[in-house]
Amino acid sequence: MYPAPIDEYVRPATVADALAALGRYEEGDAVFIAGGQSLMQAVKARLVRPRCLIDLQAVDGLSGIEVGAEGLRIGPMTRYAEIARDARLGGAWGALGDAARRVGDRQVRNRGTVGGSLCWNYVAACMPPTAIGLGATLELTAADGSTRSMAAEDFLGGPLETAREENEILTAITIPPAGANAGSAYKKWGLVTDALPVIGVCIALEAEGGRCTAARVAVGGLAGGPQRAGAAEAALAGVAADDDAGIAAAMDAAAREIETQGDLWADSDYRKQLIRSLGADVAASAFGRAAGEEAGQ
Amino acid sequence: MSGTSEGWVGTEFHRKEDHRLTTGRGRFLADLVVPGMVHIVFRRSDHAHARIARIDVSAAKAMPGVIAVVTGDDIKDEILPMPQPVVQPALPANYPRHWPLAVGRVKWHGEPVAAVVARDPYIAEDAAETIEVEYDPLPYVGDPESALADGATIIHEGWEDNVIFQMDFTGGADADSQKAHEAEVQKVFDGADIVIKERFTCHRCGVTPMETRGALFDWDESDGMTGWLTTQRPHIDRLALSDILDIPAEKLRIIAPRDQGGGFGVKAPFYREPMLIAYLARKLGRPIRWIESRQEHLMAVSQERDQIHDLEVAASKDGTLLAIRDRGLADCGDGCEGVYWGFLMPFLGAVELPNAYHWPIGDIKVKVAITNKSALSPARAFGELPTRFAMERAIDMVARRCGMEPADVRRKNLVAELPYTSITNEYFDSGDFIKVWDNLMAEADLPGFRARQAAARAEGRYLGIGFGLGVELSGVASELFVPMENQPGYGAATVRLDPRGKVLVFEGDAPGGQGHETTVAQAVAHSFGIHPNDIIVTTGDTGTTPFGSGTVGARAGSYFVSAAVQACEVLKEKIARIMAHDLELADAAPADFSFADGFVTYEKDTNIKKTFREAVERIIMAPINLPAGESGGLEHTAFFEAEKPMIAFNADVCTVEVDIETGQFKILSWTTSEDVGQIINPQIVEGQMQGAIVQGLSNTMFEEFVYDENGQQLTADFETYKLATAADVPDIKVTHAPTPCPYTPLGSRGIGEGRPSDVPGTLCNAICDALEPFGIEITELPLRPDSLWRQIQAARGAS
Amino acid sequence: MSTTTITVTINGETIEETVPVRMLLVDFIRERAGLTGTHIGCTYEGVCGACTVQLDGEAVKSCLMVAAQADGHAITTVEGLAEGGTLSPLQRAFNEQHALQCGYCTPGILMNMDEFLRENPDPSDEEIRHGLVGNLCRCTGYAHIVDAVRQAAKETG
Repeated sequence: MYPAPIDEYVRPATVADALAALGRYEEGDAVFIAGGQSLMQAVKARLVRPRCLIDLQAVDGLSGIEVGAEGLRIGPMTRYAEIARDARLGGAWGALGDAARRVGDRQVRNRGTVGGSLCWNYVAACMPPTAIGLGATLELTAADGSTRSMAAEDFLGGPLETAREENEILTAITIPPAGANAGSAYKKWGLVTDALPVIGVCIALEAEGGRCTAARVAVGGLAGGPQRAGAAEAALAGVAADDDAGIAAAMDAAAREIETQGDLWADSDYRKQLIRSLGADVAASAFGRAAGEEAGQ
Repeated sequence: MSGTSEGWVGTEFHRKEDHRLTTGRGRFLADLVVPGMVHIVFRRSDHAHARIARIDVSAAKAMPGVIAVVTGDDIKDEILPMPQPVVQPALPANYPRHWPLAVGRVKWHGEPVAAVVARDPYIAEDAAETIEVEYDPLPYVGDPESALADGATIIHEGWEDNVIFQMDFTGGADADSQKAHEAEVQKVFDGADIVIKERFTCHRCGVTPMETRGALFDWDESDGMTGWLTTQRPHIDRLALSDILDIPAEKLRIIAPRDQGGGFGVKAPFYREPMLIAYLARKLGRPIRWIESRQEHLMAVSQERDQIHDLEVAASKDGTLLAIRDRGLADCGDGCEGVYWGFLMPFLGAVELPNAYHWPIGDIKVKVAITNKSALSPARAFGELPTRFAMERAIDMVARRCGMEPADVRRKNLVAELPYTSITNEYFDSGDFIKVWDNLMAEADLPGFRARQAAARAEGRYLGIGFGLGVELSGVASELFVPMENQPGYGAATVRLDPRGKVLVFEGDAPGGQGHETTVAQAVAHSFGIHPNDIIVTTGDTGTTPFGSGTVGARAGSYFVSAAVQACEVLKEKIARIMAHDLELADAAPADFSFADGFVTYEKDTNIKKTFREAVERIIMAPINLPAGESGGLEHTAFFEAEKPMIAFNADVCTVEVDIETGQFKILSWTTSEDVGQIINPQIVEGQMQGAIVQGLSNTMFEEFVYDENGQQLTADFETYKLATAADVPDIKVTHAPTPCPYTPLGSRGIGEGRPSDVPGTLCNAICDALEPFGIEITELPLRPDSLWRQIQAARGAS
Repeated sequence: MSTTTITVTINGETIEETVPVRMLLVDFIRERAGLTGTHIGCTYEGVCGACTVQLDGEAVKSCLMVAAQADGHAITTVEGLAEGGTLSPLQRAFNEQHALQCGYCTPGILMNMDEFLRENPDPSDEEIRHGLVGNLCRCTGYAHIVDAVRQAAKETG
């Protein structure tokens, strides 16, 4: 109910200071806190017992959404609420808004950050599959000032696992430029409205003449961590927006190839069915956006 | 007595409670502070069933800020064990002995094994963590069937089996009469056109309030013990604590805070934790406060329902119900819970099983088994949500077999003439079930819906309509309450007039959001012809209020308000007598005086009047020249007991659309029809209905206490024990078909307590109606999309 | 115990306090600022929303922050809603529509809906219900809450 004792709270102003604070502690003893909407649950349950909380709220340059020739650059401290109300994030990037508008609740969206979600990589989270679906690249900065970039799907491992090294901080999330005729969407299902996803599906596709030329399909809510559905991506290529059977076949391929688990909320078979049904809705929405329709929720 | 011209009863009057509650000035238990107050945290069992081999509290005791650490062994010779008579029903049952902390063995995951008192709750939690408990695990008994199986592990020491309670509700007291009765019922089944036989199961869930439990106890040698407690029954708690701690009752005062964050039955039992906290407050000489965490709350209390019913119904092919047979089995948990013992809910559920239908004969038996879970604790719709689910589903199944509309089968078998005594001996005092039903059907537009349903089905869409209905107790009469809980059923109210013409009302029950301050103010204002804002209501303080058994069983609208009105009538007569004397109106009878618009008026000459304040002030402040035999002062306590036990009745209809590809569904509409008698405050009635129905929906669709194969509870927070949010439920339309109750002074009926009970049946009936082409009959709760999808898949595969 | 000194403006009043680093913001508000209108309904999960306050004008759950994170920020609690003792239209609507019973969840709902209505002055019922997802209410069944928010929107919008 109450956090275990915490020795220190720091609020660095720069990335370098944040990493320096981290360096002063043994591994795991100091933690970054972004929005804290997941971390604080774990801290209050005493599953995480930091000696030092490094609050990233004041770190310069970690927040905001920039749209440029190289695509979208999102600061990891950008809050869901900002993404949800950013009118530029339609079409190819529509999945971002779909996910952000349905994370948790208003209060969580006011605090929770996209970077925090990716670095926490909870089993039931919206941002991990969305980042994979959109082909996001994550930029990490190390204590020595060096940076490295990697694809979201390489960064995100099993639940609560990422490729972030202990001395690194996530400094940017970039998403490729919106191709013409590109659209993406995300949808999840949970037992109650906007609950943590039992299954969440993100699809990003390009279409020419209403026919899919390339697609990325990512699924979240999985015990193995968020995954791409390669067979579904291949199957979607060439499928027309109005070809319900073709879309259904592709989503069936996703359901078959992805390993699903059973838990309190759904058994493994129902998760597969959710991949099919959500996938069909998401594909329709993505096709619509690719065709320039203002789809989405 | 005439003179209730001010129409405060039945009008929309905005609640008096709300100003403080909307401005952050409510005073809930966690807001109370006493100088020198310290904090207590419980360490709870990690095992569902184990022997306690060793407890080491040395590290906890050594922590700075820690004042005391206690275990079961420390207190078992200091506190008398439960049961104690005041919290033991007069029903034959096995009452398990227990102390506030586990002694020797733990019997459920979450049972308190030790407690830490510290200066600060954060430190108390730090210390509680360091307590080392070594357990020798014992076999886990996780369901009632295995608890009753041959060779089952016996949970309570010294018991012969795991049966806490069993009862035959219809066959008489002895084995011979029961056997003869069974044979008689069997004959009806043998000759029936239609027999439905199903097992209905209802999962473990309840109505957890938003405010958890809490307690603050303060002892001093001169005044004794003052305890602030989240409770629906402060007077009962006081007596129970007096017995267990051996403190004379006059040295105990229990105060339920004026603001309590919901109760719904969960705050009605006499629980273990307050016993220990009161004991420690005296022993340590420090005021101690406990605020339960949500996790503790979801593990220790608020678990209800959890019954299995093997139900059989015999009917003729025209839809006439002929006989019912039920074998109920409930999962009690450990049963260690004052007042209810985990079995009173299934007991009353069985009493309510016949519902409002006329059954010529029935054979109803219930068994309640001890298991390694926390004891069932009451939740609104006390024990009857599982039985009503079974009954309302069974009625639809009968209708389907008869080829009739379920609505028609219901109307055909409703008890048409009241009063009526059910086969389980429940008395239906008054009302008009048919009128309530017909009012609902007028709202439902069944033919119109059937047309829309057919059109939708042609497009591959599955719409459904479902009905349900319910009788609920409207207060609990002494004739039922004394045997059931060893407590009086009367309502009590003290009405004290203030020399300035204001009124103070004292209620011994302890509300938690039902709006008693407003409702009784309206009734008293109505009676005295003054404004509700001139009435101040004090509740739940045993030091100032008359004895009341508690805020339970929808008794405010029937019993408490009636007591207040009776007290007003007594005082009005006195005022009238003295006024007649003062005005030398020798022929005037009390009935000749009206109380309205702030005046007391002589109706035979309306120029003769006094302001209410003048009339009152004269008797309280100037008690001279009084008629012979009269004394000064204006205060009266009335104890209201109705001539007959009372009930209230309702019926519901809902419509749904089911997505057969996923089993997901949407509730399109929900309408309810009620008979609450004379309504006192229509908004409050509507709010009670809407809240209760959504609680029923949340129980049906989302909430479930889940245990793994070792008895580890898996759903003990709001992330996993899910409650309905605003976006998950429909708007609820409330309509009325009232028949005033002849047994209460205002004609009002207490309502709302039992209202969640017909919700699961109503909703499942709608789903089954939508899925009629697949022949799906839901018999198991919770109602979850994945299970529905599997049933649809199976049906499609079969066809 | 490790402490930190923070300065927080609550309902316009600036408070400087030395607090344990681990102290939750909700405990700071209740125990240090003495504003007990903000309630606690969960253990650690932060799902019920009873503790919702506004941080720099945005609705947040004060149980999911340590007080230190609020250092230098402005907080509004339910006690700060009524200006000069006059209930806000939203507070008044909650009374007039009977949108509360026990009142335990009410402060959190008011703080969330107060911001919601600024962002969305003319909401549909569906939008109101969606906006309320972060606040559990056990008593009302939500219908009257939706009515109250709609009334406040009409009055102020």
